Amino acid sequence: MYEGKSILELHELLVSKKVTPLDLAKDAIELAKNDNCNAFEYIMENEALEIASNLGEIEANNPLWGIPFVIKDNMSTKDVSTTASSNVLNGYIPVYDAAVVEKLKNAKAVPIGKTTLDELAMGGTGTSGHLGITHNPWDKEHSRLVGGSSCGSASATAAGIVPFALASDTGDSTRKPASFAGLVGFKPTWSRISRYGLFPFAPSLDTVGIFTRNVTDAAIVTEVLAGRDDRDSTSSTKEVAHYFNKIKEKCEKRRIAVVKEIVETIKDKDVLEAFNKTIVGLKEKGFVINEVSMSTELLSSLFPTYFVLSCAEATSNNANMDGIKFGPLSNGSTFEEVVTKARTKGFGELIKRRFVIGSFALMKENKNDLFIRAQKNRRRIVENVNNILKDNDFIYLPAAPSIAPKFTDASDRLSDEYLIADNHLVLGNFAGLPSITLPIGFKDDMPFGANLMGRAFEETELLQVSYELEQVTGLANIYAKGGRK
Amino acid sequence: MEFEPVIGLEIHVELKTKSKMFSNAPVAYGKEPNTLCAPLDMAFPGTLPTVNKEGVIYAIRVSNALHMSIDNELHFDRKNYFYSDLPKGFQITQDRRPIGKEGYLEIEVGGKVKRIGIERLHIEEDTCKQLHFPAFTLLNYNRAGVPLVEIVSKPELRSGEEAMKYVEKIRSIVVFSGVSDGKMEEGSLRVDTNVSIRPKGSNTFGTKVEVKNINSINYVQKAIDFEVARQAKIIEEGGTVIQETRRYDDKKNETVAMRLKTDAVDYRYYPETNITPIKLSDEFIENAIKSCPELAESKKKRYIEEHGLNNYDASLLVSEKAVSDYYDEATKHSKAYKLLANWINVDVASYLNKNIISINEFPMSPERLVGLVKLVESNEVNSNQAREIFAKMLQEGVEAKKAKEILGISSQISDMSFIKDAVNAVLAENPQAIIDYKEGKGRALGFLVGQIMKKTQGKINPKITSDVLLEELKKR
Repeated sequence: MYEGKSILELHELLVSKKVTPLDLAKDAIELAKNDNCNAFEYIMENEALEIASNLGEIEANNPLWGIPFVIKDNMSTKDVSTTASSNVLNGYIPVYDAAVVEKLKNAKAVPIGKTTLDELAMGGTGTSGHLGITHNPWDKEHSRLVGGSSCGSASATAAGIVPFALASDTGDSTRKPASFAGLVGFKPTWSRISRYGLFPFAPSLDTVGIFTRNVTDAAIVTEVLAGRDDRDSTSSTKEVAHYFNKIKEKCEKRRIAVVKEIVETIKDKDVLEAFNKTIVGLKEKGFVINEVSMSTELLSSLFPTYFVLSCAEATSNNANMDGIKFGPLSNGSTFEEVVTKARTKGFGELIKRRFVIGSFALMKENKNDLFIRAQKNRRRIVENVNNILKDNDFIYLPAAPSIAPKFTDASDRLSDEYLIADNHLVLGNFAGLPSITLPIGFKDDMPFGANLMGRAFEETELLQVSYELEQVTGLANIYAKGGRK
Repeated sequence: MEFEPVIGLEIHVELKTKSKMFSNAPVAYGKEPNTLCAPLDMAFPGTLPTVNKEGVIYAIRVSNALHMSIDNELHFDRKNYFYSDLPKGFQITQDRRPIGKEGYLEIEVGGKVKRIGIERLHIEEDTCKQLHFPAFTLLNYNRAGVPLVEIVSKPELRSGEEAMKYVEKIRSIVVFSGVSDGKMEEGSLRVDTNVSIRPKGSNTFGTKVEVKNINSINYVQKAIDFEVARQAKIIEEGGTVIQETRRYDDKKNETVAMRLKTDAVDYRYYPETNITPIKLSDEFIENAIKSCPELAESKKKRYIEEHGLNNYDASLLVSEKAVSDYYDEATKHSKAYKLLANWINVDVASYLNKNIISINEFPMSPERLVGLVKLVESNEVNSNQAREIFAKMLQEGVEAKKAKEILGISSQISDMSFIKDAVNAVLAENPQAIIDYKEGKGRALGFLVGQIMKKTQGKINPKITSDVLLEELKKR
């Protein structure tokens, strides 16, 4: 009944008492139960109904009051199963809520489920979680992936089950599936949102991400999530601006850079056409579009740099999974036996691969050649990006080379092709800059998006410009109708 | 062939901060297992470390006491390895930028002062405690995350004795600076050593053997002496020393092979990405240094130079922080330094030993002791009487004046004219004694004093009496 409605639409219904939070929660839970895209790890039926029944008086000035949402299963939820879609955490029930979950609960939003992800957030296809493939609701044939690692959150939001979802983004895990699923996928500045309770993959890159179906909703949610949290000492103490109030204000910063070498790697004519059309639209709105250059050599190094650094960090961050303190306990007569069994059984093959690579990169004899060289290269990449953002306010690019690939096309294994078009979003993680994907067109009934990236802590400006872009495309609030049983 | 031992010490000191180094769980000893744990200490997914400021301040105190240069940025790294006592699978430590670098401490050997270089001091976190049983191992996470500083010396120690003195000095520093209990038996101070030997005069290093499980200060010397002798024997017999880790067995007084030490485990160090580098302002560092309580060395110097105590007395007072604190408190109320030192080092010490308690449990406050000392100082009582009063004070828990009253001790007479009269009276009654004294017969003086005591029923101050007596004898 309420599927596909935006936060503000639902808020309107709640304020005018046409609907109650309990109605919304029940409706969302029903939609979740009928979801055939395998987007859910766990539906929080009892928890959601309990919360929705006890919200008290409506808060007219609080747009999130009573609004249902979903949580990517790599975020700690108190007393609710959290597995990170990995068997190594089967049965793990955390004793605490992640900061972002806490904030949304305090804002009286209603969590209705935990969504699937690529195992431990490592992956970009939405196929490696322990419950199997998560589907793209736009493709009724279920022949195309939804992307990852935030596959479940993307799928549930794209199916209209909830108006917003919590996700995470380490290499592009929110912003790429956003493109494949016709969503707004927002990754704010690194340190803008507390990572307390976000299971770490690569903390120097990890950021909480948000899915919505329009830019204004993204502003609403981000404003609630952002801010200093003393439990995450890396979180920024900078004051949080009023993203929501300012969203319709015309942004003063109007210089947009398009990176020539990246666009050149995109072969899909429909994507390029739609992209160019938006450029025209932006120009009409008074934006100045500058073509800038980045060396192809540097761009080709994006993926290997990302892979070395993230695998190295991931290896260390998952060394706590031994089945002893939490997770399924294996038996054995020595510590080595117990831990080896638990980790061998618990981790998927792709994860083990990444751990091997990560350990290899940090070994004494390889550290200089691999890890340190990657760190230095990251610095070089970031300097490059920041240089572009000296004379330009935003960088604007197609988010992905094309629409969601078919399963038969994609592979998450190590490949020799460092496709620049497929990996440029990681620039936002390397540099820690705010970056947002929004839909710009359709091809074969599948959506695709473009990505805007701004300067650190300039979320207000980035959201304002995204709002204008949304007006150019006219593609706010799209969702895949009827994608379930 | 004459060998020279080359010894380095790695000392881990547990800091007695209120909470752990990276979590807010409390730090306490001997509590029920697994009751002092925050989710981070058990490495629950998604938990994050936050830096304990007090721990940093403590580390700066010790670095400064060891004359080290202090880094003005705080950086942490991960030391990655798998072991049952390491919940996260890595330890947060400082690899690249230890907070303290290039310092030294001085020890006294054979009457000479020797300077031992200290390479680094860094902050890290402690591991779980393990209890091994035949069929299983129990893990207690109370200790996981407790702050540690690791102090690494340069290999400049040359004997077991020197090493023991180094450890004593470190212990004194960490206890007096208020940062640790420094108890080897409780594990708040742990010593590992690297021992090798080389021909005397050589500049190269022999094969290093690590020795662990040294549980008391005395064993430091014993373990090292044994190891040096063991290595010397091997080489003299034409063999080679194997690089390994050995365990000191204190019952047999020998080191036993534990495991082969392959050339350093690869810990795959890299920066701790959940703690961004922290700038330490000059002010912060200065305040940390200023906040340090007075160290033993400084107290001893002060006692000798300003209080006129001798080296022996001063050393005794600073052998235990609590004792020197007691003395310091007492000197706030009295300037009778020598008297106070004596009472504390002899009478108080004897009481503590007999009752097997520490001065912290001593039932007489420094002020009370001063009350007694004041009586002695003013010659109101003699030393025997003072001891009686002391005992009574402890027995009844009363102050000096009250105890004196209970005992019925009347004040010693110190009135000059009374004493003079008594002296002259006795001299008049014992002319032979005067002659004996003048003839150099030693016992005469004692006899005369005894007579005076008898006459005054012992109430006269003996010291003043003998002074007056000598004076009067001179006149005759």
